[in-house]
Amino acid sequence: MGKKILLIEDDRFLRELMSRKLVEGDFDVTEAVDGESGVEKSKNGGFDMILLDLILPGIDGFDVLKKIKENEKSASIPVIILSNLGQREEIDRGLELGAIDFLIKAHFTPGEILQKISKII
Amino acid sequence: MSEKTDKKEELEKPKENSQDIRNNLKELENTRKALTNMLEDFEVARKIAEEEKMKTESVIEKFSDGIMILESDKTISFLNIQAETFFNISSKAVFGKKIEELLKIDVFAKLGEILKETAGEIFRKELTIDDNFILEVSTISISRGEGKEGVLIILHDITREKMVERMKTEFVSVAAHQLRTPLSAIKWTLKMLLEGDLGELSKEQKEFLDKTYVSNERMINLVNDLLNVTRIEEGRYLYKTEAVDFVKEVVYVLDFYKDIIKKKGVKISFTKPKELLPKMFLDIEKIRLSIQNLLDNAIKYTSKENEIQVSIKKKDNEVIFEITDNGIGIPKDQEKRIFSKFFRGENAVKQETEGSGLGLFIAKNIIEAHKGKIWFKIEKDRTSFFFSLPLPEKE
Repeated sequence: MGKKILLIEDDRFLRELMSRKLVEGDFDVTEAVDGESGVEKSKNGGFDMILLDLILPGIDGFDVLKKIKENEKSASIPVIILSNLGQREEIDRGLELGAIDFLIKAHFTPGEILQKISKII
Repeated sequence: MSEKTDKKEELEKPKENSQDIRNNLKELENTRKALTNMLEDFEVARKIAEEEKMKTESVIEKFSDGIMILESDKTISFLNIQAETFFNISSKAVFGKKIEELLKIDVFAKLGEILKETAGEIFRKELTIDDNFILEVSTISISRGEGKEGVLIILHDITREKMVERMKTEFVSVAAHQLRTPLSAIKWTLKMLLEGDLGELSKEQKEFLDKTYVSNERMINLVNDLLNVTRIEEGRYLYKTEAVDFVKEVVYVLDFYKDIIKKKGVKISFTKPKELLPKMFLDIEKIRLSIQNLLDNAIKYTSKENEIQVSIKKKDNEVIFEITDNGIGIPKDQEKRIFSKFFRGENAVKQETEGSGLGLFIAKNIIEAHKGKIWFKIEKDRTSFFFSLPLPEKE
């Protein structure tokens, strides 16, 4: 009964670490290495949560978020932004665009991120 | 006989008269010469004054900053060449008019806004003409003769400075992000190792990894501090203020530090104000950060069995936050520099090699941006840091 999580993260090492921790936490992980494939993989819904990085090659994270929220099938999936940007303006923008939370990667351990996820889904 | 005497007197009179006349003529001639000299001197002085006036006018006319003069009735009486260029208008077109009459012209509308906003003299307010053209406006009141006061407006082009500022912010943002990426990777890896995700660890291995983790956290905090400092220097540091309960915010920060305080074995006491405080307009994140920085210092530079006392008091129309510890204090000769950037007291460095030296600098900037004051007092072996914040005026 693993909950399905879509992880959109371009940094390979961070992606591996996060994936590993999520799998340990009994989550079903799908990985996307850039914005385009993130949008592609989520276009038919089917996920319980999306973890989204902001600095991505190609289209940027905010645009990906917009697209996910504009698509009926994926709009209701809760999105947590995981980014190393963190100025107030960016956080506010992310939340305004519909993200449910904004976590700065350098400030949270994978375990803490898992806790936050478990509280939501 | 008297006739003869009369005639004699009469005959002698002309002689006296002609002597007088000669004397008078001589005096007149001297006076004429003196007047002529005076006129010549005046003429020379007038020419010199005229030259000086022209030199000064030339300087003002051609000065690299724009200069505008408003008379006591607010009409424009002077626009130098640079001001004409900045506003793209000839001084003849605006001479004798008030700024209120020129609001159709965009620049004057904007200038009018700035002048209206501030009573009294303006010091370096920004006037954005467009994206690639930004001016700094300052005003000084000047005498226009006979007790009348006019305004001297100085316009300084700061487009280049603003561009450099923008580049610096972008650079720091990018650098911070670039630094955080590997730092997150290290943080996550170490944490996973410490949590046993990659197998059991020996006690020694755990200790080493713990210390590495702490070191890495220090770097992460330093990146945060550097980001904060850059934003302070940018001047746009207070991002968003909301009506908040100040006491609640202090409690929030103290709660957050509960475990750390416990671990260090230090006692902490908290005294609330006697009366209920009205909501205050504060940038929550930044205020929490200032309290955190002061609390950090109190905890860092104190030792076991020491006590930290935190209190909030209402005094007149201010709220005063106080944090007292009986830790290492501040050496007398370094007191003045304690709030400056990157400064750490000698004794602080000896006790803890950690510490970026930015905590108090950042706290000071945050408090002052809220129009408060921050200071400290040392009595015997107790150090107290205070900050005040103005309470909103009663309606």
